[in-house]
Amino acid sequence: MSDDFYKNKTSIEAQPSRTISDSSGSVSDIDYVKPAEVSDQDLYHGHSFITKWIFCQDAKVIGIQYTLTAVFTGIIGLILSWLMRLQLGFPELVPFITAEHYYQFVTMHGMIMVVYFLTALFLGGFGNYLIPLMTGARDMVFPYVNMVSYWMFFVAVLVLMASFFVPGGPTGSGWTLYPPQAILEGTPGSGAGIILMLVSLALFVVGFTMGGLNYVITILQARTRGMTLMRMPLTVWGIFTATVLALLAFPALFVSVIMMSLDRILGTSFFMPTILQAGEILEYGGGSPVLFQHLFWFFGHPEVYIVALPAFGIVSDLISVHSRKNIFGYRMMVWAIVAIGALSFFVWAHHMYVSGMNPWFGFFFATTTLIIAVPTALKVYNWVLTLWRGNIRMTTVMLFCLGFIVTFVNGGITGIFLGNVIVDIPLSDTYFVVAHFHMVMGIAPLMVIFGAIYHWFPLVTGRLLDEKLGKWHFWFSFLGAYSIYFPMHYLGFIGVPRRYFEMYDSPYITSAVGLNQSITIAALIVGLSQFIFIFNIVKSLRMGKPAGKNPWKANSLEWQTPNVPPAHGNWGDKLPVVYRWPYDFNVPGAKEDYIPQTTPPSEVLEAKVEKT
Amino acid sequence: MSETQKAQTTTHKIGIYLWIWGLLFVLSFCSYMVDWFQFQGLVRWTLIVTFMLLKAGLIMAFFMHLFWERYALVNVLLWPMTAIACFITLMAAEGKYTVFTRLFYFFVGG
Amino acid sequence: MSDHTLDKLPGGFKGMATDMGSDQTVFKGVNWGKAMMWIFLLSDTFIFSCFLISYMKVRASVVDEWPYPSEVFALNFMGVPVPLLLIAIMTFVLITSSGTMALAVKYGYERNRKMCGWLILATALGGLTFVGMQAFEWSKLIHEGVRPWTNPFGAPQFGSFFFMITGFHGTHVSIGVIFLFIFARKTFRGDFDAGKRGFFTSMKSDYVAIEIMGLYWHFVDLVWVFIFAFFYLW
Repeated sequence: MSDDFYKNKTSIEAQPSRTISDSSGSVSDIDYVKPAEVSDQDLYHGHSFITKWIFCQDAKVIGIQYTLTAVFTGIIGLILSWLMRLQLGFPELVPFITAEHYYQFVTMHGMIMVVYFLTALFLGGFGNYLIPLMTGARDMVFPYVNMVSYWMFFVAVLVLMASFFVPGGPTGSGWTLYPPQAILEGTPGSGAGIILMLVSLALFVVGFTMGGLNYVITILQARTRGMTLMRMPLTVWGIFTATVLALLAFPALFVSVIMMSLDRILGTSFFMPTILQAGEILEYGGGSPVLFQHLFWFFGHPEVYIVALPAFGIVSDLISVHSRKNIFGYRMMVWAIVAIGALSFFVWAHHMYVSGMNPWFGFFFATTTLIIAVPTALKVYNWVLTLWRGNIRMTTVMLFCLGFIVTFVNGGITGIFLGNVIVDIPLSDTYFVVAHFHMVMGIAPLMVIFGAIYHWFPLVTGRLLDEKLGKWHFWFSFLGAYSIYFPMHYLGFIGVPRRYFEMYDSPYITSAVGLNQSITIAALIVGLSQFIFIFNIVKSLRMGKPAGKNPWKANSLEWQTPNVPPAHGNWGDKLPVVYRWPYDFNVPGAKEDYIPQTTPPSEVLEAKVEKT
Repeated sequence: MSETQKAQTTTHKIGIYLWIWGLLFVLSFCSYMVDWFQFQGLVRWTLIVTFMLLKAGLIMAFFMHLFWERYALVNVLLWPMTAIACFITLMAAEGKYTVFTRLFYFFVGG
Repeated sequence: MSDHTLDKLPGGFKGMATDMGSDQTVFKGVNWGKAMMWIFLLSDTFIFSCFLISYMKVRASVVDEWPYPSEVFALNFMGVPVPLLLIAIMTFVLITSSGTMALAVKYGYERNRKMCGWLILATALGGLTFVGMQAFEWSKLIHEGVRPWTNPFGAPQFGSFFFMITGFHGTHVSIGVIFLFIFARKTFRGDFDAGKRGFFTSMKSDYVAIEIMGLYWHFVDLVWVFIFAFFYLW
């Protein structure tokens, strides 16, 4: 910042809140906002217990339902990871885990965490709760379909869990479900297990299409007066772009699931080549396994951005609020999110460099993969520049944001290694890849989830979470996660393969035994320390400090509701009117260090705000 | 669902729908003729795709009303097709590569 | 149906920039349900595109011979095998039903209940005829030995893709027919005029619902145009 800034001598003047398309005169009316284009939403009001809490159409209740189901499923995924780590670190301790079991754990852990936990939590949980509130709407545009979408997700989870109990158990093909092995006898769960997995995924896609349509159209068509797209918090931008990706990428998964189901049930040969099973020639022939990989990763790569982009958006808002500073380069942050989203459809086969696909593809996909790193890096610089010279409050939320930046940079850099074809060849299918994606998709978004819960818990419940417990939770989680995944890169470098049940006796792997043991111990400690978090939540629900309204002194609309927690309909009788972006922190000339979005210019005439 | 204000909407004359229906009929007939006259190779391929895109365009523009919709909606719907176009191009190449490897290994040996 | 208040806004690219930069809505004058249907159709387009792309890839990859669709789908008319006759009739029926649907939307907005209702019914009957012909085609092929896992004409994937793609399309048509019958009933009863609340959703009915249904129906026709070109003609 220049000296002029500190002496309040900049030339930025208070701007009248006119939208671009307004053509009427009235220069003196600086509080003018365009009138409403549509009439106020005609909301459904439930009156029975069932229509108020079970089949509830209120997006806030649906958001909490999604969150609870996703977290419950995530805990199952966490327990599976403990079992896997025990087998890898101390196989003598768990003789009941066979190779088949191990592969089933690997598969279910992966599918649960990526799809049923992270996607459901970010889009269904945070999306449902925050989108109407942050855009100034009363609810989603089609509450009935929104309600149905949650119950589809619930049924999808039930079907997935049912696969644990069928003969043969759940599928053990890896979360990537590659044919031909996934439906052949050598793979665990190739009977009912794989079928239930495929059915569950199909149900999930249908449910999330219903939800996704709601999120997208609410953001595009149901914002309140004065809320332009460029005045939306980055949280909304992240979830919006992720939802668009979901709507366009899930079809590829759906198609591949249908075709694999037909291969398994009807004996078609979409993906099945001529093949022998235990010495016997099967009836299949002519199909193309690599087609499944293309379809899966055409979905799979946007899927990881569906997990990452909401995290990017949310962390931007958390950093901004807890450092009392506007997000650096908001406009470029928006463009970066959109660019990452668009580019994510053109990079999928960087997961397939060693698959035997057309060798010329490597050139194309390595190029696009390195290009997509550019807007991602831009975001990292902007987060750091937001913190730079900010009035940083070292709350638990801020600690998790800093943890996010560190782990995301780590994971992102290893992604550059893997994005290059030649470097990927020795690293593919080793623990280097496992370390990379856990850092960038597991730990980093998880840090954001924790930070987001500490941040928005006061809004949802009216009480604050305990800060001391929060700090213990953070340090255990952050240092613990680093102790798990940082050494894992070394395992990958020396060539330890992933998805192996046992660490065998070769000299280079024997040298890694100690490392595997320490990683396992760290994993168990981190897993157990999550009970601090659960304890904090349960305790604070009953005995937490009452938060009052807007305890973090944030600007965005969700904190401006007349009731805390927000009631049905969110805003009472009058919808809010928006005059500015949500990042007016420490504006020179303003009385307080924050200016909520609903504050008209006439109330802050001395403040030198930017034109937004 | 009916959240737009009661706007004065005007509808189009019947004629335009009959014209488009007639054009679609003609184009379908032309597509059918491609098979009747047994065109082969590049000519067949080009004619099929051309008639198909014309029919698709007419349905989208006039029956689905996109000709009269605002540009924002049209762009939001059409730009994602570039991802599909990329997928088509790459899968065509992949199909050729697969059949090449099969013919090579089945008949030349490896 | 054009909205006069929208004529005051700039058009073209500049209009798009203005719309996207404005508050409240991006798609000016577009009802929420209509916007949702458009985005749903975009997603459904990706589904059918993925099916057709898979078909293209697998057909390019098989070493077995691919059957000639014009022979497989020929219909015997007075002893002469006419190639693709049934398909041509099906195409005609579906395109006509698309035309009646567009007219139904027009009359709906003009609040001409009778014309609207009859045209919706005509569309539904067209759809029903299409599904019936598709079922007939399926039974004819099954009778000739075509199965999802094998067929006597060539590569087994021919039958697989045929049943899967036409099955998905036929399911979409059938769902459309059911909704068309429901909407025809609502129209004749005057539910759209009265703004009667829906049974499941409790939302007020409005003639825009017919336009939304129309979009879905035209999409179904659009998919058929692509299936016809790529599967039957190619």
